[in-house]
Amino acid sequence: MLLNALKKLKGLFSSKSNKEEQHDPREIEELRLAFQIKYHHFKLLLNANNKALELMTQIEEYLKGHKFFGMTLIRSIVTQIATNVFQMINNLNQIAPQKYVLLYDKFKEIQATLNDLLSSQSLPSQGPLVISLKEVTKDHVDITGSKMAHLGALSNIEGINVPDGFVITSYAYKLFFEFNELHEEIPRRLQKANISDLNSLLELSSELQQLIIKAAVPPEVADAIQREVRSLAQKNMEVSLRLAVRSSAIGEDTGEASFAGQYRSELNVAPDNILDAYKSVVASKYSLTAMTYRYHHGIKDEEVDMCVGVIRMLDAMSSGVMYTSEPLGGNGDLLLINATFGLPKAIVDGSVNPDVFKVSKSRPPKLIEKHITQKTVMYTCLEEEGVCRTELVEEQTLNPSLSDQEVEELAELGLKIEEYFGTPQDIEWLKDKKGQLWILQSRPLKLISHKSQRDLKVLEGKKVLLKEGVTASPGMASGPVFIVRQDADALRFKEGSILVIQQALPRWAPLLSRAKGVIAELGSITGHLANVAREFRVPSIFGATGATSILKEGLEVTLYADLCAVVEGIEEGILPEVDSPKIMKGTSVYQTLERASLLIVPLTLLDPDSPSFHPKNVKTLHDITRFCHEKAVKELFEFGKSHKFPERSSKQLLCESPMQFWVINLDDGFSVESPGPYIHIQDIRSIPMKALWEGMVKVPWKGPPPLSTKGFMSILLEATQNPDLEAGMNSSFAVKNYFMISKNYCSLQSRFGFHFSIVETLLGERQQENYISFQFKGGAANLSRRVLRAQMLSLVLQDLNFRTEVREDALFARIEGFEMGYMEERLRALGYLIIHTRQVDMVMEGPRQVRTYREKFKKELKEHFGIEFYNGTGGH
Amino acid sequence: MEGIKVLMVDDEVDFLETLLKRLKKRGLEVFGVKNGQEALRTLHEKPFDVVILDVKMPGMGGIEVLRHIKEQFPDIEVIMLTGHANVEVAIQGMELGAFDYLMKPMDIDELVFKVEDAYKKKILKEKKHCKKV
Repeated sequence: MLLNALKKLKGLFSSKSNKEEQHDPREIEELRLAFQIKYHHFKLLLNANNKALELMTQIEEYLKGHKFFGMTLIRSIVTQIATNVFQMINNLNQIAPQKYVLLYDKFKEIQATLNDLLSSQSLPSQGPLVISLKEVTKDHVDITGSKMAHLGALSNIEGINVPDGFVITSYAYKLFFEFNELHEEIPRRLQKANISDLNSLLELSSELQQLIIKAAVPPEVADAIQREVRSLAQKNMEVSLRLAVRSSAIGEDTGEASFAGQYRSELNVAPDNILDAYKSVVASKYSLTAMTYRYHHGIKDEEVDMCVGVIRMLDAMSSGVMYTSEPLGGNGDLLLINATFGLPKAIVDGSVNPDVFKVSKSRPPKLIEKHITQKTVMYTCLEEEGVCRTELVEEQTLNPSLSDQEVEELAELGLKIEEYFGTPQDIEWLKDKKGQLWILQSRPLKLISHKSQRDLKVLEGKKVLLKEGVTASPGMASGPVFIVRQDADALRFKEGSILVIQQALPRWAPLLSRAKGVIAELGSITGHLANVAREFRVPSIFGATGATSILKEGLEVTLYADLCAVVEGIEEGILPEVDSPKIMKGTSVYQTLERASLLIVPLTLLDPDSPSFHPKNVKTLHDITRFCHEKAVKELFEFGKSHKFPERSSKQLLCESPMQFWVINLDDGFSVESPGPYIHIQDIRSIPMKALWEGMVKVPWKGPPPLSTKGFMSILLEATQNPDLEAGMNSSFAVKNYFMISKNYCSLQSRFGFHFSIVETLLGERQQENYISFQFKGGAANLSRRVLRAQMLSLVLQDLNFRTEVREDALFARIEGFEMGYMEERLRALGYLIIHTRQVDMVMEGPRQVRTYREKFKKELKEHFGIEFYNGTGGH
Repeated sequence: MEGIKVLMVDDEVDFLETLLKRLKKRGLEVFGVKNGQEALRTLHEKPFDVVILDVKMPGMGGIEVLRHIKEQFPDIEVIMLTGHANVEVAIQGMELGAFDYLMKPMDIDELVFKVEDAYKKKILKEKKHCKKV
């Protein structure tokens, strides 16, 4: 016994005798340098970790589906995450050389899979360059685009007249691009550009279109096209052949995204100019409207092959658009026809207020309602080539463009087509000079479910500025008027304004994502812009004559699209809660992100103390970041304890007396060199540690809260059943409370009264690198009380602006990116909470205690540290 | 940190000049060149601590330049900069010894911090080598 006592005594003095041995100052300096290097790599690892975690949060945000994104964004995020993860592995390797090299292999595996996912795939290489329309079926849709596939199908229906023609396929398109190296050049320019800036987008659009127009059509494609044109000419020798050249892009008109009017059509083209017309339509793939549209719908550029339909041009007596169902709800028993004189361009481009016919969907269909309007403009074919715009003379303008009988005939065709495709259709039709009805196009009609606000009482007492037109897109909106007459105006368009225009031209479509509402003097419910407005759910009134003169620039107005009325002033409306559309869901870009995120975001390595926490079990990039972080901390800790130099070993913290806390100095955390076993709190230079400590010691802990018998019994029960509460812990890591510090870094691993917590923080002048992370688990009471305590803590931390997550009785909290003073305040609060929530789990009987303690702690934090709380939603 | 010597290599002249101006304001000693050959020549003539290198350049590509720099001047830290997201190129670069890989447009603060971190790494390495001798 005495011998032992003597040995112990000797041990007490042994540090002194070591000191007398005089360690080589050079060796000490080497050790200090080794610490510095390891710590520097550790810091770099932490930075990379934060970056990676932040990017993963971004992925989760995008997966919610409400925000637009494209492939470029996905590639950028994934690349950044991958580089940061690789950095972490590198830095871990610097801290503990050669120990974890299996991580590199695992990383490579995941990276290879990600690469495959992100690079575009190519179609089978060979196929016909042109297909005649009569031979096209719905199965050809991948090489003809759905517009032409539909037209081909239509041409085979009994009683439906479709003009002759042929399709220039996606094979031809690919050949055209490859022949001119556009398949590399264009993606290169797209990547370089800044898509969110309208100005540079305009420039880019023009650049890319020029590239295509100047390119040469490969000889095989030119030959194939010209052969088809000759064959068309021969079919009808009396008339001079003219052609309509129309876009039919892959993905266009699938009902998901209508691509309304985003591409160009060339009308009344002479056969000699067919190749130029082809290039012009292909170039329109990069029109401003098309590019913004694709971006907003998350459609990959490389997926859109521009197929082109060439059909015989017919001159029109009258023409228009037919919807085989009402797009804005209604009973589903009405068919709608818009008609005007001349070519359908006038309606489709929103330059005219057409005649409106409503027909019942009975067999045979019956005309129910008609509105004949003043049609002031008309497009017809010119003799030589092209289309001309004619102003219509007074008497003509008020004639109906279709007789009642013709309306019913047309409706019958519409019903046939709807029946064939099984879903309501948006049909472009034409009546030729001989009175024959032709179908030019048919695509799925997008229906909107909507509760119409048709109650005119809403307008009582308000200053009605305008009550005209048709509801192109339903709803209500308020904002300042912004009149756009030219492209220059469009560039200045203020977000949140009410867009006021003369014609409902498709080229204003890019503005719709920023407008609260749209009012157009001309145009109809069936025009391209109306389609876009409905897709973006922007309330719109078209055909509101006089809008641009009546509504003054900047005037605050409210538009009631369902009532076709505009009133002065901002009105609060009882808007039906529209669940923000999950616009991205179902798009191929979204699916790509989903698949990529499965390799990145999920955490499968959960328990650092388990033997399965090993590189061989890494499945995702998040696993790698977790592994590297945990191991890096462990390695530094071991390094801090494993060497024989007392100068650099862990020191016991001294306040007035020795505390149950030990400190390892990783770099410059002490202001003096301390050879002995202690370090005084005054000699600590670590900014985050000081803040944390201040919070911990501010108010002496009064001991555990008074227990009810139930509470006490719950502890006893738990203590006898929970192996973690055993006295002898195997890992020396967890027995004492350890600080690891540098001037800007602090981590605290501690165990208090049966619970276990880790604080890690970096705090310095680099605001964006600042963060605090807190983990907490356990307790002596039973599970439900521990869970309640975790929930209570989570709420208090949320009040402090932390992001939190509770998993059973474990709490994870994080805050980052704020400046030093703010973060120091959070650390003090955290220190306080760590000490004073000790054993509070014992009294957590139910939700009432959660509320009481939450308020108690907030009050105390305000009192002791002056922290202000801003009650957001209050309660939970 | 004052006085860190930085060489910027980028073929986009406007971008290069703007960045040089801003970095100078932050107290870095910067110099700019337009391509890989000029970069290597300059490195032979003057001492530098950190190189900021655009990866996609015509002629001698960024990765090639990186390889040469690491062979001839192993102590100089290289930060790769690019407008393109390409995981393979990024990882390849870091395997060849690049300090980090940043994408344009990047936060100027972030770039400066990276330069400082790279410089610190260089200094620590130098100290270590001195000790060994």
